[in-house]
Amino acid sequence: MAILEVKNLSVSFYTRDGETQAVQDVSFSLEAGEILGIVGESGSGKSVTCYSMLGLVPMPPGKIVNGQALYHGQDLLTMDEKSLRDIRGKKISMIFQDPMTSLNPYMRIGKQIMEAVQIHEKVSKKEARERAISALREVGIVDAEKRVDAYPHEFSGGMRQRVMIAMALATEPEILIADEPTTALDVTIQKQILDLLKSIQAKRDLTIIFITHDLAVIKSLANHVVVMQKGKIMEEGEAQQVFNQPQHDYTKKLLAAIPTTAKSFPSKVTESTPVLLDVHNLHTTFTKYSGIFFKKIEQEVKAVNDISLSIKQGEILGLVGESGSGKSTFGRSIIRLIESQSGDVLLNGVDLTKLNAVELKTARRDFQMIFQDPYASLNPRMTVFDTLAEPLLTHKLATRQDVGHQVNQLMDDVGLERKHLRKYPHEFSGGQRQRIAIARALALKPKLIIADEPVSALDVTIQAQVLKLLLELTDKHNLTMLFISHDLSVVRFLCDRVAVMQHGVLVELDETETLFNNPQHSYTQKLLSAIPALN
Amino acid sequence: MQELEQGRSLWDDALSRLRKNKLAMISLCYLVVLIIVALITPWIAPYSYEAQDLILGATPPSSEHWLGTDSLGRDQLTRVLYGSRISLAVGFTATSVALLIGVLWGTVAGFLGGRVDAFMMRVVDILYALPFAIFIILLTVVFGRSLILLFLAIGAVEWLTMARIIRGQVLTLRHQEFVEAAVSMGLNRWQIIRRHLIPNALGPIIVYTTLTIPSVILLESFLSFLGLGIQPPQSSWGSLISSGVETMEEYPWLLIYPGLALSITLFSLNFLGDGLRDALDPRVSKD
Repeated sequence: MAILEVKNLSVSFYTRDGETQAVQDVSFSLEAGEILGIVGESGSGKSVTCYSMLGLVPMPPGKIVNGQALYHGQDLLTMDEKSLRDIRGKKISMIFQDPMTSLNPYMRIGKQIMEAVQIHEKVSKKEARERAISALREVGIVDAEKRVDAYPHEFSGGMRQRVMIAMALATEPEILIADEPTTALDVTIQKQILDLLKSIQAKRDLTIIFITHDLAVIKSLANHVVVMQKGKIMEEGEAQQVFNQPQHDYTKKLLAAIPTTAKSFPSKVTESTPVLLDVHNLHTTFTKYSGIFFKKIEQEVKAVNDISLSIKQGEILGLVGESGSGKSTFGRSIIRLIESQSGDVLLNGVDLTKLNAVELKTARRDFQMIFQDPYASLNPRMTVFDTLAEPLLTHKLATRQDVGHQVNQLMDDVGLERKHLRKYPHEFSGGQRQRIAIARALALKPKLIIADEPVSALDVTIQAQVLKLLLELTDKHNLTMLFISHDLSVVRFLCDRVAVMQHGVLVELDETETLFNNPQHSYTQKLLSAIPALN
Repeated sequence: MQELEQGRSLWDDALSRLRKNKLAMISLCYLVVLIIVALITPWIAPYSYEAQDLILGATPPSSEHWLGTDSLGRDQLTRVLYGSRISLAVGFTATSVALLIGVLWGTVAGFLGGRVDAFMMRVVDILYALPFAIFIILLTVVFGRSLILLFLAIGAVEWLTMARIIRGQVLTLRHQEFVEAAVSMGLNRWQIIRRHLIPNALGPIIVYTTLTIPSVILLESFLSFLGLGIQPPQSSWGSLISSGVETMEEYPWLLIYPGLALSITLFSLNFLGDGLRDALDPRVSKD
């Protein structure tokens, strides 16, 4: 018997730009004890579907146009606010994407869990505390009796997500809705959280709705899968069925977009190719001081600890590692966005670390950076034209009169239409913005590009397009690239060689396929085994 | 042949967006008319600002004196018109001074950070702690009484809050990736401040500016009351209001008209400010 049954749900948002149909005629049912995966890219309506069942969609601008959501035969959509509150958080709990922001930083975690319990049940403080401790123990928090009085900032990201899960479980719900619960986490932590959810589900016979954009994550978890696009259900079926014999074109496209293979075209780099970038014993240390005028060293973090590597002309070197491994700091230290303490960075034989401010400004033409977040890396108050013209004008490679020609060329290069030049960044989608950012990096015709997670903020189909673009451009302009990423399958698809970093130290560096097939270092092995596999 | 797309600046776009905001345009028109009237007051004022008629005394509005007269028989309309000259001059000059110093000081402190920031902000703290009245009195004692000095003195105090607000904005903007991108493109500090930081801090700058102008206009009346600003028979809106308050129960028109003039001006400034803030933010809406 279905525990939750959604029938013909339609949700629209009414804004001054008109009506947006976020969810259109969605129906599915959820059996007790099963794990339902809802997959889709951003804007597919997968979150809105679940939020609207619990009355969490802001109205206005949102409006439930049509449909029913029957929980044990009761319609959640027409229920009054008080009865809904009794179900929400008690019978149906939620976990959110970002464990950093979904806990109140000023409240001890035990208090937050106890609050969740006490809202719904008349229990004594002592009993609520017992419940909090046992929930924490269940999600694998060691020393739960003591940790219950800790504040959220005392936990790492993965541990915080465990706390969130404990909070959701403390009220003993029947259904758990998990909205991208592992997206913000590192791959090894993601694996732990997925394993945890699986074991809790089995033990408690919990019903789970798992919302994600990542097909690979859901494959190891879900019994049943719903694929959504633009508010509609494209395909629905048993997980095995959907993954092995996808029926709908969109599902096939999604599956095909996931990079699973090795780099397709052969590297142009040979034994005799000259080295472009040569890094010797680079050290970057962050020092925490107390006091402003009379500084006292409090703590030193060796973000980059004695790293040496070289990149040849035309090569793409992947740099992987988890958050906090120092990979971004390394990239920024090379191009002196962050100053390093010691070591040499030779670009074509010139030591970048020894340049003075004026020399450095000129030298910056030769190396450019592509940033992770295309929403933050473009100035929101500059048109695309101004953004692309700026580097050219700064380095006097064009005058105000003839810069237009080069800007148009750049737009063509990255596959954007010239008529968009007058627009501002917010009028573009994430993928288009990243194309603008790539165009800006190419404007100065640099020799070296540092790409810091350039595709991790993008949807999987867009990611595939941008990766293809990067490959084409490196080939066309004979670019050399340091590609920083936490996503190993992307690195495998793109890079000639791969370097692995952990705690500021380079632990392994090898040809891509050699490293993937025969990892030497234990950390590399751990990383590789944590990748959720599609096949 | 198709022409090459050329870039238009933020200000061109803002202007075309502002034109579509009726309330802001009406306010702008009002302010322009007000400024013109203030400029040509000596030629259009019905009476001399010094002319007294002690026998007439205080009279309510009539056909000879549209806004009535005060207890010395001076024409109120004339005084409000002359008052607008002083008030607008103080309001705009002092605010510009505050804006210029405050924005530059705040941006430089926030962008450079570290010891420079700490030093610059301590200067602000020290000036904050200085009692304002004593500061002005000292200035007047040293330099004598003059209108220019009054403008500068007020501006020199009002920039402190502006600097703090801008510094806070810049601190959050400084670590955004587009600023890092600008550094990696090889822009120098001044280019980054001018092209990337200040445009993105415009919202709070404009809002605070529209709040500063009225407070400056009122500050002038306080200083005049202390005997440091302008002296009767010259007038300003601030001084007219504060003397109007004293006789509010007997001669309400002496308070009402300068009060109205000030309020309408402040309303227009606020509408214009809001309009500008929205117009300068390309994200607010597509037209």
